[in-house]
Amino acid sequence: MSAIKELENLEIDLQQQLSQEVKKLLESWEKKKASYKGEFYSYTVRGKEIKVENYVESLSHTKIPKILLPRFKDWGEIVKWSMQENVPGEFPYTAGVYPFKRMNEDPTRMFAGEGSPERTNKRFHYLSKGMPAARLSTAFDSVTLYGEDPDYRPDIYGKIGNSGVSIATLDDAKKLYSGFDLSSPTTSVSMTINGPAPMILAYYMNAAIDQECEKYIVANNLVEQTEKLIEELYRDSGMARPVYLDEDGSNALPEGNNGLGLLLLGVTGDQVLPQDVYNECKIKALSSVRGTVQADILKEDQAQNTCIFSTEFALRMMGDVQEYFIAEKVRNFYSVSISGYHIAEAGANPISQLAFTISNGFTYVEYYLSRGMKIDDFAPNLSFFFSNGVDPEYSVIGRVARRIWAKAIKLKYGGNERSQMLKYHIQTSGRSLHAQEIDFNDIRTTLQALYAIYDNCNSLHTNAYDEAITTPTEESVRRAIAIQLIINRELGLAKNENPLQGSFIIEELTDLVEEAVLTEFRRITERGGVLGAMENMYQRNKIQEESLYYEQLKHSGEYPIVGVNTFLSSKGSPTVIPQEVIRSTTEEKEQQIKNVRSFQERNREKIGAAITKLQDDSVHNRNIFASLMDAAKVSSLGQLTNALYEVGGQYRRNM
Amino acid sequence: METVAPYKTTNKVRIVTAASLFDGHDAAINVMRRIIQATGCEVIHLGHNRSVADVVSCAIQEDVQSIAMTSYQGGHIEYLKYMYDLLHEQHAGHVKIFAGGGGTILPVEIEELQAHGIARVYSPDDGRHMGLQGMINDLVEQSDFVTPNIFAANLSTAVAERNPAAIAQAISAAERNDMASIDFVKGAKQSPVLGITGTGGAGKSSLTDELIRRFLADFPDKRLGVISVDPSKRKTGGALLGDRIRMNSVSSPRVYMRSIATREANVAINKHVGDVVKILSYAGFDLILVETAGIGQSDSQITEVADVSMYVMTPEYGAASQLEKIDMIDYADIVALNKFDKRGALDALRDVKKQMQRSRTAFNVSPDTMPVFGTIASQFNDPGTNTLYSEIITLLNDRCAVGWKSSYSISEEMSEKIYIIPPERTRYLAEIAEENERYDAYVESQSDIARKLWQVKSTVEMLKK
Ligand code: B12
Ligand SMILES: Nc1nc2c(ncn2[C@@H]2O[C@H](COP(=O)(O)OP(=O)(O)OP(=O)(O)O)[C@@H](O)[C@H]2O)c(=O)[nH]1
Ligand SMILES: [Mg+2]
Repeated sequence: MSAIKELENLEIDLQQQLSQEVKKLLESWEKKKASYKGEFYSYTVRGKEIKVENYVESLSHTKIPKILLPRFKDWGEIVKWSMQENVPGEFPYTAGVYPFKRMNEDPTRMFAGEGSPERTNKRFHYLSKGMPAARLSTAFDSVTLYGEDPDYRPDIYGKIGNSGVSIATLDDAKKLYSGFDLSSPTTSVSMTINGPAPMILAYYMNAAIDQECEKYIVANNLVEQTEKLIEELYRDSGMARPVYLDEDGSNALPEGNNGLGLLLLGVTGDQVLPQDVYNECKIKALSSVRGTVQADILKEDQAQNTCIFSTEFALRMMGDVQEYFIAEKVRNFYSVSISGYHIAEAGANPISQLAFTISNGFTYVEYYLSRGMKIDDFAPNLSFFFSNGVDPEYSVIGRVARRIWAKAIKLKYGGNERSQMLKYHIQTSGRSLHAQEIDFNDIRTTLQALYAIYDNCNSLHTNAYDEAITTPTEESVRRAIAIQLIINRELGLAKNENPLQGSFIIEELTDLVEEAVLTEFRRITERGGVLGAMENMYQRNKIQEESLYYEQLKHSGEYPIVGVNTFLSSKGSPTVIPQEVIRSTTEEKEQQIKNVRSFQERNREKIGAAITKLQDDSVHNRNIFASLMDAAKVSSLGQLTNALYEVGGQYRRNM
Repeated sequence: METVAPYKTTNKVRIVTAASLFDGHDAAINVMRRIIQATGCEVIHLGHNRSVADVVSCAIQEDVQSIAMTSYQGGHIEYLKYMYDLLHEQHAGHVKIFAGGGGTILPVEIEELQAHGIARVYSPDDGRHMGLQGMINDLVEQSDFVTPNIFAANLSTAVAERNPAAIAQAISAAERNDMASIDFVKGAKQSPVLGITGTGGAGKSSLTDELIRRFLADFPDKRLGVISVDPSKRKTGGALLGDRIRMNSVSSPRVYMRSIATREANVAINKHVGDVVKILSYAGFDLILVETAGIGQSDSQITEVADVSMYVMTPEYGAASQLEKIDMIDYADIVALNKFDKRGALDALRDVKKQMQRSRTAFNVSPDTMPVFGTIASQFNDPGTNTLYSEIITLLNDRCAVGWKSSYSISEEMSEKIYIIPPERTRYLAEIAEENERYDAYVESQSDIARKLWQVKSTVEMLKK
């Protein structure tokens, strides 16, 4: 046999060893490359064709490609790259879940909350001024985070409206988001709430439904009639109607707020509209709301500590919410934001952050499956949230997370493409910012933001330079937003959307971190899975050990931090307090106490039945979210929390 | 930065550590409490989200020298001043308050707080100047004193009135071997004592908390004393008194709880536990619970002070033959097989019952009648725990003739668990790792084949040319 013949036989043999998918991949390679080379790239999303320009032109008229494919000729390299890296938008989504970034919408999403709902509403309008989409992110005050009501007791009083916004009733929620159309595709609202997440979510959904009712009332010229009805309702009760009242004691709305959401302040849509109309509005609102509720109770027990109910009961309520979302077709709202941010900020290194977070994510998958939900019904409702520090591993955190998730959902759980796509919000690390030489903090944040944007995060919060001292002021938050805008709009290399691909160190780090995460998965398995490990405080312990390690190196100076333990100014770089520090005012505290009390007074007669129904559903192991939605109309947060303690049990703290 | 050596205490220093109300920022306090403990102190860590009332009543009951807090979420002025005032109101003005909150507590606020009487608030600049150990040395040195006996000659009356500060000081006196000060308790009639022991992490504290909750609800006028013993570290003399953090029910005014360290090596029980029981009996507590650390051989020491002793274990003891090595199965009046949600729980229940039958040589009765109960302490209103509770009350009535009429309703059913993750699914993460690695190996091999194919194809082309 001639050498050629022999080789040709070998070729046939090798051909047969290649799988179908790999053959296809090789056949379409040149075509795939070409599709990014023309002027436009076109693809379809939910049946719609989308055309995107493939290039951006620089001042020097260089055409900068948005997506670049490798120059490989070797088929082995092409196969490996396509199956482990691939272009953004294709399995295993290492480089990103969408083929291209959203046009005209920066990933900016700034976490904000302070004082009364009115004050935060004003801040929200300030933050979204001139932005094509309103991407709100709500920080609640500590009273709210622990599911209680504002009160005069000194240890409670001091916390009202500090570190976030005080929300205790449905009225508060309506004021907070007033002037934003909650059913619009360009509004998305994220809420950082966990222990009381189901209750706050119920307020939110009710606020959205009542906005829908308000739009119906306006569209059908029923405003006057409705006003009259409400007046009558209030005349009967002899109580004053709640009002929108800003810090200066005025009812004027802030710039950008058109008042949507305030017409039904103090009542609910079902009190003023026929039941069938109300139900229509409800269906409409639920299927349109876009946003995220954090609600991730596993990382609460491991790191953030806003647990109030027994972990088991809290998990059960998460499952109830997800089931409700499936039944009511809440498709554009993430029922959970599986978070590593708090794990990292409590002290974990990036590898532990990633391993614990993703393992928590798979725990929800297993739990929801065990409750009979289908992977493709719930996986698209899961989202993620990471922290981004300066450590080298942070340059690949999104890449590794997406890759592990996609592989597991596809291969182990048989989920579809939407389920395989891991979407995440990322925030620059607060713990990496310091009280000394605070001007330098913006530099750290810039570098971290660059990591995040190059890694194709889906949304991003950049911390303000006064992070170690106060929640941001208008001035400091403006600089923090500028960091993102400068990268997104000015930095030339960021016009390319896969700048990390093809770098030796990035590929190496990706493999190393992925392997380290899988190793951690095995350690957790040895301890009985995520819940078993938590029982032995495995995660908490590891996080605390890593935190102590960092603080020791920081304080001994072995880990250099410029302006903090090295490169001090001639004066020794003392802490300098910024011009402005955010604190809630006495008036705001008083107002929140007064409002919650009159809300309770107003609903005194209605609350009993609602709470009985809620508790009854719980005791009989029925899904409680529907009755929680109803109870939320007439109960304050503290009332709901205490009612649920009686049927679900309180959280028991761990070391 | 030079390294600072830990301060050496001359007295036994006890410190409560916690994070403020509605505040989960425990990173700083978790660093500090570890260093405080390594500096030889007994630390009662309360964790996060603690009201002023919680911290103050703990500080008083535990007779500590100081409180170390973190507060990051604002309201620190109100919180810390209120704590200071409440301590003074309750005659515990000697308890010092230390705090920190990074940059969130402004320098002017630090001045205001220290002027009000807060011993010290540590800023990030303090951290830089003093170092971590330096801050702790400062704090511990200021706490290195004997807590004053504010009741002096009235101690016995105050204890009898169940003044928590008085009880606390009487216990401290016992721990200091100052028997003269507590001479008055000698003749007191001993209250019933339930001893709880078991392996580390078996769920003793969770179960204790659940039993307390039921007892308080069942007997609205009865009072409970709780003693909890944890081991001291031989090297430093420090101890982490870690049971109190788990107890939600001890905030009731009808409960007094005291955490004590063994202060000796290789013992499960502090030699003064008997004295503490006397003090609590003298004070008129209706029932006294004693939780001790399980360290194997010495577990059975508990039976010396307890009227009824309970052993807490889990189904995860390994092979059935291991059961023979567990002394406490021989000594305990009752066994709680906790974590009944674990794999193999039913088998374990049968095996433990058999072992107890053997140990009691009770071959004439069915093993089913042995007092072994499956419980899930981490589950709210767990039926198994209800059964266990009733059984304990029955036993106490038998042994101590207290004549308690329990109206606790129990269901006959066994603990049945609604699983979050079914026991047979707990390997999910390893399965994912395996599945992902299988994919990687597949990619590797396909890539190799593709490379060879490309090489062969190219060669053929070259040869043909
Ligand atoms: C870590 C962190 C978190 C972690 C906490 C994890 C955990 N388990 O602790 C996470 C991400 C969960 C978190 C959540 C929140 N956080 Co936070 N967080 C921080 C952060 C980044 C660091 C604080 C820290 O622990 N530092 C480490 C310690 C060791 O160092 P240090 O603070 O410099 O302290 C020094 C001294 O003061 C001293 N010290 C401190 N305490 C003590 C105690 C003793 C006894 C001693 C001896 C010494 C001492 O030790 C250090 C020595 O150098 C700060 C911002 C910052 N950079 O400081 C925000 C910050 C405290 N958080 C803030 C907020 C608002 C929140 C939230 C309320 C947000 C929200 N609305 O949801 C939540 C609350 C969650 C809850 N459970 O209640 C605000 C508070 C604003 C304010 N007071 O006005 C801050 C300032 C950030 C900001 N600018 O917005 N946070
Ligand atoms: N799965 C499960 N976990 C439980 C159960 N009871 C307690 N736990 C968990 O076990 C861990 C230890 O509980 P603790 O009550 O602190 O145990 P302990 O025996 O007092 O521990 P030490 O005092 O440290 O020896 C915690 O994480 C509890 O949540 C149970 O019935 N089932
Ligand atoms: Mg314990």
